[in-house]
Amino acid sequence: MDFGSFLATPEINVKVITYRDIFQDKAMLENRFGEEYRDLSAVIKLDPADLKQLNVKKGETVILKNSFGRVVVKAEESGYETPHRGIAYMPKSPWSNMLISDETGGTGVPKFKDISVTVTSAKGEKVTELMS
Amino acid sequence: MCEEADMEKNYYVCTGCGLLCDDIEVESEKNKINKVYTACRVGVAHMKEARNEATFLVDDKPVDEATAVSKAVAILKNAKNPLIFGLGNSSNETQKTAIELAKKINATLDDTSSFCLGPLAEALIQDKLKTCTLDDVRNKADVLIYWGTDPSDSHPRHLSKHSYFPRGREKQRGWEEERTAIAIDVRKSHTAKICGNYFFQIPPKGDAEFIDALIAGISGKLPKTSYNYPPKKILELANILKGAKFGVIFVGRGLTDSLENLEPLFRLMKILNEKANFHLMPMVRSYNTMGFNENLFAETGYVNSVKFENGDVKHGPEYSIVESLKAKTVDAALIIGSDPLLILPRSIAKNMLDIPVISMDHCETMTSKHAKVHINTAISGVESGGSAIRMDGVKVNFEPAIETKHPSDEVILKKIMEAL
Repeated sequence: MDFGSFLATPEINVKVITYRDIFQDKAMLENRFGEEYRDLSAVIKLDPADLKQLNVKKGETVILKNSFGRVVVKAEESGYETPHRGIAYMPKSPWSNMLISDETGGTGVPKFKDISVTVTSAKGEKVTELMS
Repeated sequence: MCEEADMEKNYYVCTGCGLLCDDIEVESEKNKINKVYTACRVGVAHMKEARNEATFLVDDKPVDEATAVSKAVAILKNAKNPLIFGLGNSSNETQKTAIELAKKINATLDDTSSFCLGPLAEALIQDKLKTCTLDDVRNKADVLIYWGTDPSDSHPRHLSKHSYFPRGREKQRGWEEERTAIAIDVRKSHTAKICGNYFFQIPPKGDAEFIDALIAGISGKLPKTSYNYPPKKILELANILKGAKFGVIFVGRGLTDSLENLEPLFRLMKILNEKANFHLMPMVRSYNTMGFNENLFAETGYVNSVKFENGDVKHGPEYSIVESLKAKTVDAALIIGSDPLLILPRSIAKNMLDIPVISMDHCETMTSKHAKVHINTAISGVESGGSAIRMDGVKVNFEPAIETKHPSDEVILKKIMEAL
């Protein structure tokens, strides 16, 4: 039997940094329920070494999970020259919003920029549909 | 002489973001905009936004205006503590009407600034920080800091029209010789790329320490950070800032969300103005968020998160949309030109699914899909006119570029008021 089948699916922890993207904003204005907005939003950009550790190729889907939610999004390479293992980037969208804590300490300000998730291969599972 | 040059051109204002660019030309036919000139990618999409045919929906079924308004009125009348939220994409006139409505029905009233840049807007309105206009920036600014903000994506014409690339009145030699653009961020954004060697990448949550180190550098001390940022680079930055004749810090949520409070920023501005001349401007995104903050402040002394109660006004984070939804203290919601189900964490926004919602917007949104009543209003700035406060506090008047059969949000709010 192949040794690999005894290994659990590789899992890594990353901190997610959200950002605004002009192409995604334009797609939202045109149709926030459309494919283009989904394709530009439901994405996580990872360090190539993290992708390798996950055994995930760019363009494949991954599961992002924490105690607040679970979403399936497409994994991409970040394209940044500087290595950034453990840090990943997502355009801010309903998909990243699924992973944000409801804990605000009574301040009225959610921790939009403080997201920690575990990432695993989604093994072909489709990108999460925009909940309606 | 070219005849065309003599013809008077009609310029429109783009209400796609807080820059309120006022040099937009459009070509339209049968009240549909076919071409947009001068605007950015977001602006063009905004001016040409597609829209629904049905103007009024109750429980997802098309109805007439009277039915939709009376259903909205019934929801507000039945509510003990309704929430009115949004208004960042509404004119000053609509905002003032909404404040009146909130008073009349003892509502909780808030906008996105309560979880975005509201505290900075408040400090500016109260003259606690030195600011300037975008025209001052274009004409005079020599040192620009984009901190936790990426205008190339959020305010696409910021660098080209106002801050970095233009030949301003006192900056005829432009960016090549007379302006220094600096980006401080946790990622190499498009704006950071333009800043080249003046991009200072810091770790997430590293902003407060970076401010302390920068202040040390400006004061002639050795700048230290727990993440070992090269002191030489911080000292180099400190020297550029000390030499600024007209410096501006453009502050985004990347910075404010990373700070516990604004105190480090106040300290930085204080020392920068002892050694040089510095201004601060929040990178407010929606076209009239500043207007909401100013209009509500003029009325109540607060910029957001208020609750009206029989003529009195209460204020505090407990009256923000986030805490109101979390604590389930509001029992109905009137959402005007915003999509809380899209922009808020799902863990918080989900509570909105349990209360009746009235949505007013020019397109279908995640919020409108859950609304009891949806009113498809005119696109503010494209199909209806008014005035707004630009992100730098300058008042801008705008005319509609095309006509529409859809009512403006102001008209609908007035009808709701009358029916109440």
